[in-house]
Amino acid sequence: MELKEEGLIEIKDLTKDYGNERGIFDINLNINKGEMIGFVGTNGSGKTTTIRSILGFIKPTKGEVYVNGMESWKNQDKIAKLVGYVPGEIAFPDLKTGVNFLKSQAEYKGITDLSYADSLIKELQLDPKANLKRMSKGMKQKTALVAALMADSPIIILDEPTTGLDPLMRDAFLNIIKREHQKGKTIFMSSHMFNEMEDTCDKVALISNGHIIDIADMKAIKNRNEVDFKIEFNDAESFNKFIKMNFKIIRIQEKYNQCTIEINKDNINDLFLKLDGLNVKFISEVKYTLEKHFKKIMEGNNDEK
Amino acid sequence: MSIIEVNHLTKDYGSGRGVFDVSFKIEKGEVFGFLGPNGAGKSTTIRHLMGFSHPGLGNTKILGMDSFKDYDRILNKVGYIPGEIALPQGLTGYQFIDMMQHMYHVNNKEMLDKMLNLFELKENELKCDTKHMSLGVKRKLAIVTAFMSDPEVLILDEPTSGLDPIMQQRFIDFVIEEKKRGKTILLSSHIFSEVDATCDRIAIIKDGRIVDEFISNDLKHASLKQYRIRFNDLNDYEKFINEYDKNIINILKEDKEKLVLKITCEDKNINNVIHCFTKYNLKEFNNIKETLEDYFMHFYKEDKEFGGNF
Repeated sequence: MELKEEGLIEIKDLTKDYGNERGIFDINLNINKGEMIGFVGTNGSGKTTTIRSILGFIKPTKGEVYVNGMESWKNQDKIAKLVGYVPGEIAFPDLKTGVNFLKSQAEYKGITDLSYADSLIKELQLDPKANLKRMSKGMKQKTALVAALMADSPIIILDEPTTGLDPLMRDAFLNIIKREHQKGKTIFMSSHMFNEMEDTCDKVALISNGHIIDIADMKAIKNRNEVDFKIEFNDAESFNKFIKMNFKIIRIQEKYNQCTIEINKDNINDLFLKLDGLNVKFISEVKYTLEKHFKKIMEGNNDEK
Repeated sequence: MSIIEVNHLTKDYGSGRGVFDVSFKIEKGEVFGFLGPNGAGKSTTIRHLMGFSHPGLGNTKILGMDSFKDYDRILNKVGYIPGEIALPQGLTGYQFIDMMQHMYHVNNKEMLDKMLNLFELKENELKCDTKHMSLGVKRKLAIVTAFMSDPEVLILDEPTSGLDPIMQQRFIDFVIEEKKRGKTILLSSHIFSEVDATCDRIAIIKDGRIVDEFISNDLKHASLKQYRIRFNDLNDYEKFINEYDKNIINILKEDKEKLVLKITCEDKNINNVIHCFTKYNLKEFNNIKETLEDYFMHFYKEDKEFGGNF
């Protein structure tokens, strides 16, 4: 099937009002072919509702979602053929083993070649013969990921795929998702782990109380010209000398003789020259992260209210 | 008397799955971290502690009472958060709280309100059916009901999985508060920062066996720091390698192409290191944090092979 380059997924003024201020309101988001977009937000902010609307599981109160130009709610079946989906809460059908489940999914999606599923199983070290009901959380998630990817669908949507996974398994998941992205897949993924978004996504959308309040461009965050350092001194004298030196101080903790400064990347030598002769206890870089970026925005938002 | 005891617990599920000769003790007022990969046996151990499973060999005790035999006596002294939350359907959040209060014979409105506020469970969320709650809201509800009787023992199985970062931090602060109040806490988690921030002692379980146990402070205040420095030109890069003071700086890794060095130094020598830096033209300077995560990743390595089952 021919895929749209621009706006492969289009969310237009999407509103689902559950009453009592619960739901999502006027969501607009465009995802182009080949993009990998992250989706973050506090608990209950509307991530899953948005994701389920893309898949056509939810009838919007207002607005619409298009996947490859097809309106989601009316074309659930067609969209299911384009999208591999890992839900946030996995509820398997009443089948005995992982193998039974994967075979039923393959049949439903019309897949005859199971070699990719098999290689994923090996990579994830999954024992698909295990009883579905007795599977640990990690095993369930692995099974769901294999089911979502085995059809080689051009769009992959994942709702908190790494929640509850141990660090090694999380890396294995992310590597697989990254590889799918490199193959040209379009990916939309929600998560609470900012660091995993930083490494993988092109853009990250932030949702709060049902509204998208920011879409961060990861390139801009990564290629920041400034760098922040936290510096603690062994004595008040050094500390006092330093804070008078015209560095841009963004945080100060006098009781520990500690401050955090922001300097241009090119001025690192200047920093060491000024520090030379002072009594430093430690110096460490404070990374500017997606988490900080969003914190700034959230705080700004609260001030307005 | 230890508050929580696991004595030679063995439960063999076959095919190498289960827990084998697991032992540890947790004293009053201690926060004990329980780490390990998915499927290593954390939840199995915890479920035995809660009296849900009969041990194959050995026993588990809480407050001196056998978990399995004295299940009903232990129940309302322990706050438990399960790893996977399954709430009964057809109830609203409020009805679920009522049900739990009846079951545990508790009616501590003050504590309940405090918990609801702390975890920001709003009226509109509690009024809706558990079926329509998001994962995060269900998790919060499980936390609130586990703590509402103000129990002296807390058993927490991945308590913050699925919580947003703000709530995760709030949870950590809460655990630290509870610890100060003398609570005894078992915390299983994959989120190293939360283990790091709260635990006194940590045990690692792998393939059903405890493979390491240690005091967490030993790791927390490592004064040896790792830095990555990048030079502006090859001249300075080579000059540094030739003349650096081996007593204060140790070079871990050289990357001549990128003009990058990875070095370590003790905090107590930082002033000498700074002085040394002033002699060169540096382009970048970062420090690499040695975390609990780096330290323990090797326990997480798996060596099992599966596949080829179609």
